[in-house]
Amino acid sequence: MAELQLTRADFEPLHTDQEIHSLSRPSLSYWQDAWIRLKANTRALFSLYLVIALLAFTLVGPLFWTVDPAAQDVDQISLPPFADRDARIVSPYEPWNGSSVLPVGEGLRLADTPTSEAVRLVWDPVAGATSYSVYRSRYPTGDDRALGLPLIDLYGSASTTFEDRLDLSPRTYYYSLLAYDGAGNELDFQTLTVEVNRVITAESAVERGLIAAPDDVQIGDVIFMPLHPLGTDYLGRDMLARLMHGARVSLFIGIAAPFLYVLFGVVYGSTAGFIGGQTDQLLMRFADFVVALPFLLFMILFKIAFGIGPGESGIFPMLVALVLLSWPATSRLVRGQILQIRQEGYINASRLLGAANGYLVLRHMIPNTMGVILVTLTFAVPSAIFTEAFLSFIGMGVAPPTPSWGSMCNEGIKTMLTTPHELIFPALFISITVLAFNLLGDGLRDALDARMRSVE
Amino acid sequence: MSTVITSDDSFTSAAGRQLLIFAALAISGITLLMLGLSWASSRTGAASGSNNAVDPVTNTLTVFLREEPPQLDSSKATDTVSGSVLGHVVEGLLRYDEHNQIAPGVAESWDIRADGATFRLRENARWSDGRPVTADDFVFAWQTALDPANASEYAFILYPVKNGEAINAGELPLEELGAVAVDDRTLEVTFERPLAYFDKLVTFSTYYPIRRDFYQSVKGAFGADANRILYNGPFVISRWVHGASLKMDRNPYYWNPDRAKLQTIDFAYITSDANASLNLFKDDKIAYTTLLAENLDDAMQQRWHIHRFMDGGVFYIEFNHRPGRLTGNHHLRKAMQLATESAELVYKVTKLPGYLPGESLFPVWLKGVHGFFREEYPANYPHMDLEQARRHLEKAKQELGLKVIPPLVLLSGDNPVSNIQAEYYQQIFRKHLGLDLKIDKQIFKQRLAKMLSGDFDLVLAGWGPDYDDPLTFGDLFASWNLNNRGRYDNPELDRWVRVAQDEQDVQKRMDAFGEIQRILIEDAVILPGYERGVTYVTNPQMKGMVRRAVGPDPDFSNAWIVD
Repeated sequence: MAELQLTRADFEPLHTDQEIHSLSRPSLSYWQDAWIRLKANTRALFSLYLVIALLAFTLVGPLFWTVDPAAQDVDQISLPPFADRDARIVSPYEPWNGSSVLPVGEGLRLADTPTSEAVRLVWDPVAGATSYSVYRSRYPTGDDRALGLPLIDLYGSASTTFEDRLDLSPRTYYYSLLAYDGAGNELDFQTLTVEVNRVITAESAVERGLIAAPDDVQIGDVIFMPLHPLGTDYLGRDMLARLMHGARVSLFIGIAAPFLYVLFGVVYGSTAGFIGGQTDQLLMRFADFVVALPFLLFMILFKIAFGIGPGESGIFPMLVALVLLSWPATSRLVRGQILQIRQEGYINASRLLGAANGYLVLRHMIPNTMGVILVTLTFAVPSAIFTEAFLSFIGMGVAPPTPSWGSMCNEGIKTMLTTPHELIFPALFISITVLAFNLLGDGLRDALDARMRSVE
Repeated sequence: MSTVITSDDSFTSAAGRQLLIFAALAISGITLLMLGLSWASSRTGAASGSNNAVDPVTNTLTVFLREEPPQLDSSKATDTVSGSVLGHVVEGLLRYDEHNQIAPGVAESWDIRADGATFRLRENARWSDGRPVTADDFVFAWQTALDPANASEYAFILYPVKNGEAINAGELPLEELGAVAVDDRTLEVTFERPLAYFDKLVTFSTYYPIRRDFYQSVKGAFGADANRILYNGPFVISRWVHGASLKMDRNPYYWNPDRAKLQTIDFAYITSDANASLNLFKDDKIAYTTLLAENLDDAMQQRWHIHRFMDGGVFYIEFNHRPGRLTGNHHLRKAMQLATESAELVYKVTKLPGYLPGESLFPVWLKGVHGFFREEYPANYPHMDLEQARRHLEKAKQELGLKVIPPLVLLSGDNPVSNIQAEYYQQIFRKHLGLDLKIDKQIFKQRLAKMLSGDFDLVLAGWGPDYDDPLTFGDLFASWNLNNRGRYDNPELDRWVRVAQDEQDVQKRMDAFGEIQRILIEDAVILPGYERGVTYVTNPQMKGMVRRAVGPDPDFSNAWIVD
């Protein structure tokens, strides 16, 4: 029988190996972890930069691009981006009575240098003609007699001059002259090709701020018209400035409305979910009722109720209508989450340890629903931007001359075929913004999903 | 471990297959539904719209209407669409022919004196039920239009007939009207006061005949449907699908069988959307369409034959002169007048060929003593003069006791041409005078209601001629005229309007119009914008379509088709 030999050393605490307790990587909070995962998602990160760039575009942009978005320039209407902009200085326009001495030459010819201000035509009287018609086309006249725009019908054999001032832009025009006798028979047909140059008077150059004083330039000098990097719209307003200012309205609605209604939705939903029972039923049935209210109708009602008169901006009633009618979706989502979290073991444990309701909500429930809330918020932004664009498109939003992307689309769509840039730019901005917010929302959902936390 | 994964995989693929089947089912279901719907819509839609715009075989012309004719009761019709339709199917005593000259209609001869007129009706003028058109049909029609119970908006156009105004006011019985059927074929008219242009007046639709027994038999629904109108024009309405289409066929009873060359005019589409009608024209569904400024390049590129004509209308900004309105101030109006230049608006903003810069209420085509009125009485409209404009503005501020003029409301129509103008003026007044304008866009009816009640400071308004005499414009701003929407009230102008109405001597009348024109410009009662032209394209196979400023427009009654 062997005696159990116990030494003193046997009663010493076991030596703990420090290595076991040392952590393999630093402790990460929920947010740090989410941020790492978001950073790994290049799509979402790119969208985040896009959103920041858009905010800079609208908030900082106007500081650098100081063109008035409402300033019209009727000499530069519907200009495409980066159009040539050299203009020759001429003396101010003088009305022309056509009685000046006929310039030498034969047939239909020019009486003066053709400019974007006026093209002056003269022709020799055609024997027996009692009326003349002048046409102008952008395309060469052929045998099919497609003469283009009928500019004027002149009666009387003595009328052998015509001044064309209609919407002249620097390009080649093909003029045609038809002579008729009293019975309406065609007697003569002449054509003339005219190269029009852009001109500007010294006074209007000063007015546009291109030169300091009229004396700075001589007649015949070439100066550059104001630069419009993205072109101009149908009233000669700068597209870039309008896009910057339009973004304010779009992004204001796009960010303010979701922020307000998501906030309300969270409070409402968590109250319903936390209290539960009859109160929950009552609150959620009221939410169902709000879902059933038609948005457009309420938007119009608010517009009237707030006394928004004609020609005033409808942005405020739009905001109110959005906030009052869009919260139920968020509140349902949050309520569902809260109901689920309420059953969790750690909540019960916390409650047994004596946690008050307020502590439970603030410490456990809201942080655990934060992911859902943030994702809802980022998805709500593009939908609100869309709503604003749509309402401005149908004329319910901003009042002219305030631009918004939606109202710019509405104006651009009318000239979609001839000057597509007026539609493409605002439409592109809406699309990019909506896409950026959607992708960012996608990335956030992945990043904030607690179940993906352990996944590398 | 590996078996679990396998089962997981099979589960996934099974779910995937199920999903695929569902998707295929859903897509095929939707496709079937679409096909069914398109089949159903093709059965209920415009059944007549499948042919080409011009069909030489059936001698049919297919065109469109801008809107559903609002009123085909000729005693109540006011608008151009109804006027155009009525012009094809009903004929008055006289009419405008294809050269826009007065031509005999139901009357074969007429005699207009200073105090009255006698019309001799042709024997073979027939209603579409074969019965003759008699003098009593005219008397009845005019009495109906003047009957206060019918509240016809255009009753005033009959006021030149003796007692017309009193009857319309309910002061005299209908029988007191100065139009008497001496016998079936003789109509005797007495004038209220001497009148120089009665032959032009009787071409207007309010002067068209209505047969008494037929009008009474339809019991207040006259003009409401194709079979509730009696026709005596070159065409009859054979089919009218409300809101969708209207079809006309040649009238076998018309007295001049050579006039109508087409067998059928099919107004197969009713649309006011210029882009929609342009597409219909491109697809060869309609024979003509109006062009907007943004379609011009397209039309040139398609090498279409483009036409233009002046529709006679004058468009302008009308001020509200009612007491309490800032725009009642002469200097404020003067400032705005001197800050605008209509040539810029027309040549650079609206950009449509055929538009003329407005200078006067009286358009250039009105005839004066010998030649054109505007050549004999030049408008001398002031050019833009910003220095003077600002001086006027300062005076206006002093008189009104205001440091800053509060925003003014510009009432505007809700259509592309109005929108661009409104925004142009908004910026012009802001830039040149520092005045703020609020744009109040309204649809036509609502705008008219607001104009009537005076709920505006400025309004984009216009006026089209009813008959070919300067008076159709000249009496517009008389204090008693209900179409004077801004309630301009100037005894001097009223006096000249009275002269223009009563005077027989052409020279003195035109002098009076010259004075009216001078007052309108000097007092800046309106800001003329433009005289409207219409730019349109036609199918080269269609000939003889007539556009006119006064009378039914467009008019296809003389049109024909070439192969």
